[in-house]
Amino acid sequence: MTEHPPRFKAPSGAPPLVQLRGISKYFPGVIANEAVDLDVMPGEIHALLGENGAGKSTLMNILTGIYQPDAGEVIIDGYAKQFATPPQAIAAGIGMVHQHFKLVQAFTVAENIHLGWSETPRRASAPVLEARTAALAARFNLQTRPGARVSDLSTGEQQRVEILRVLARQARILILDEPTAVLTPAEARELFRALRDFVAGGNAVIFISHKLDEVLEISDRITILRGGRKVATENAADCNPRMLARLMVGRDIVLADMRQRSPNAAPLSPNPVLSLEQVSAAGDNGSEALHGISLDVRAGEIVGIAGVAGNGQRELSQVLTGMRPVTSGRIRIDGRPVDKANAAAFADSGIGHIPEDRLHSGLAPALSITANAVMREYKTSALSAGGIYRPNAATALAKDIAAAAEVAIPDFGMPVRNLSGGNQQRLVARREMRIANKVLIAAYPSRGLDVGAINTMLRYIVELRDAGAGIILISEELEELLNVSDRIAVLYEGKIMGIVENDQVDLDEIGLLMGGRTLSREAA
Amino acid sequence: MSAAWRFQRLPSASPVIAFSARAAAILLALVIAGGVLSLTGASPLKLGQQVLGASFGSSFGFEDLGLLFIPLILTGLSVAVAQQIGAWNIGAEGQFYAGAFAAAVVGLFVPGPPMLILPMMFVAGLLGGAVWILVPTLARAYAGVSELITTLLMNFVAILLVYYVSTNAWRDRTANSATRRLSAEIPEFWGSVHWGLPVAIVVALLIAALLSFSRWGYEVRMVGSNPAAAHYAGMPVRRHLITVMLLSGAIAGLAGMLEIAGTVHRLQGGISNNYGYLGIMVAVLARNSAIGVIFSAALMAFILNSGIILQTQGLTTSAVLAITGLILFLTAIGDELAHYRIARDKA
Repeated sequence: MTEHPPRFKAPSGAPPLVQLRGISKYFPGVIANEAVDLDVMPGEIHALLGENGAGKSTLMNILTGIYQPDAGEVIIDGYAKQFATPPQAIAAGIGMVHQHFKLVQAFTVAENIHLGWSETPRRASAPVLEARTAALAARFNLQTRPGARVSDLSTGEQQRVEILRVLARQARILILDEPTAVLTPAEARELFRALRDFVAGGNAVIFISHKLDEVLEISDRITILRGGRKVATENAADCNPRMLARLMVGRDIVLADMRQRSPNAAPLSPNPVLSLEQVSAAGDNGSEALHGISLDVRAGEIVGIAGVAGNGQRELSQVLTGMRPVTSGRIRIDGRPVDKANAAAFADSGIGHIPEDRLHSGLAPALSITANAVMREYKTSALSAGGIYRPNAATALAKDIAAAAEVAIPDFGMPVRNLSGGNQQRLVARREMRIANKVLIAAYPSRGLDVGAINTMLRYIVELRDAGAGIILISEELEELLNVSDRIAVLYEGKIMGIVENDQVDLDEIGLLMGGRTLSREAA
Repeated sequence: MSAAWRFQRLPSASPVIAFSARAAAILLALVIAGGVLSLTGASPLKLGQQVLGASFGSSFGFEDLGLLFIPLILTGLSVAVAQQIGAWNIGAEGQFYAGAFAAAVVGLFVPGPPMLILPMMFVAGLLGGAVWILVPTLARAYAGVSELITTLLMNFVAILLVYYVSTNAWRDRTANSATRRLSAEIPEFWGSVHWGLPVAIVVALLIAALLSFSRWGYEVRMVGSNPAAAHYAGMPVRRHLITVMLLSGAIAGLAGMLEIAGTVHRLQGGISNNYGYLGIMVAVLARNSAIGVIFSAALMAFILNSGIILQTQGLTTSAVLAITGLILFLTAIGDELAHYRIARDKA
């Protein structure tokens, strides 16, 4: 554990830094927030926990002036405030770091820090801005390289720049939306240290997360939202993961080992159904993104791919599904070599694919739910015998898929983008599972889902494994991989650093592999 | 907190509201135009009466409307079809000329009975339009060059080519800067309105049916809506882009063929009346729906015809262009506003 800085003691009777009183916000047909109260004390790290759609983002958008509440008040330092615009919230000392960074990639760190800031000197040269940035970085103890271009920084460094930018504007309340989603465990620890330093000076942090363990680790108090309403605020010391999960979803959930096979599950096949032999492939920019990958998946097993996002996962899943040509090496389906990347042929031979960015490549957001649901089966004779597309048959199939995915859809003709992210993901998963009788490539299937939905998704995958499909599960959630995979391969900079059997997993070992260290080098 | 009115955005607009917003936009555009006209000293009500009387009051006016209707259906369809695959065909104007040019070559220089010549001209028109969009299509499909610019530039080449041949090599001695009369013409079925009208409507219906009720149409819609998803589903993205863009060009070329074989009967400069550019507006008003194009082309034909009538009353063509621009502008606002509803905050 890290050493804690001395805790900040608020003088007794001091008002909360932030006080939300009875905040309500309604969208047509949706209660986003209703009568939410929240107190954040000086010196506190306050976690905001809730499922997707629980109202966390809406609440923070109200606090940061992006939305105006339909009812209730925002009280800062004991004074009621109305933020009509985000700059007013910033002026009141409220800063937010979004999940997707809002940095100008082509600018340097110093330029990003000074962008749109009233304190930026009128006549500023690069050395001046960089010196100011270095001074700020030293003051807040956030290590950055002022002269570096943002596009050259790692995600962890980019996040530090975002935080520094917020803190430089005299923020006393720092809101972080899922800050660790993009970080390695080491980077996350560094972030936590910086947050503790920050609150030690009497400031406060609001920490939005899905991850129960890290919420317990970092926060002093935890507020749980469900269905737009506040369920509880608890001291973190009095909480455990099981109880938090129950408060979040309103029912008991199982965070359990799902590797157990059902008695009538299909046996493991002796030969791989899909295998890669020394496969290399180019990334979008033409440089090699996968280097000599060898990987087998057998029917009836789940192979997990661990690693920090952006280390070749996207290219790997595209190679495995015929969307991206290989530059060298060989792919075999059922032992037969594949001569050419052809996504349709891969799908026809029973390989399903839950892509990592469903809105960009798994769905056509503007087209109807029906059109999206039948994307894999529109060529079947039921849907388009003789090339004649039958909309009614397509809608019937879409209804089947929606029923299997347990998604209630009032109108199958409406654009699929009107569905929530979780429902889109379930539809895509069910659509792909219908054709994945041989292999399913699932890239981050639980990304952006809440605890309940993640469990449903993993249950789907386990069912498919028991039905006799081989599964490649790409994820950045180690816990999820450990829960379901038989073997875990770690991907780092386009290479497989090692494949470990789940029974013999050592978390530290995987963490090291994810960080690009081989075991032997670490031992030396 | 006091009660306050404010706008709420809805994810989708109901058809009734969307339609009313459109109707209101068109009405408002006409009211504004009328207001401006009255400032110039004209009486908008009297002018309106004249326009309506001349358009619908006589069969001559109605026939004029019909003749404007034919090319607008097809150029609008051309733009709408390209939009289905996610491409902007700004070159319907040039493809119109190219189709007319190719059809004229057959009509002027191939001997034979009209029953044989007309089908040949039909095919020539389709091919002429397709050839004219070929280079922009390949540049887009293989090199990612924006078709917006290339199709636009090809227009000038086609327009000047037609001017050149009709005022030089193919000029008829008796006609002023036009070729001689073509050997074949499309028969008329009602006054001066020829069989090109049903042909254009059938083509629009055919395209609508293809898009909604064929496997090909499903793939095209998917490619147009999200090429990455189509690639993921294993659809031939590039092949569809090429065929649909060529189809778009061919449809505009057909418009040119029908125009010279049915309405003008000679190849001459300026035959298009900006039909290609107006097709963009027809397609936008129809929201790229092939069926919708028939209705928005009818509206556009009426506006154009009104312009011609207003010209006889001493107004310039620019006034008509201004009115069409106003309609497009206000329709865009109406479409956006249809997504909002006014809600009242409760205190």
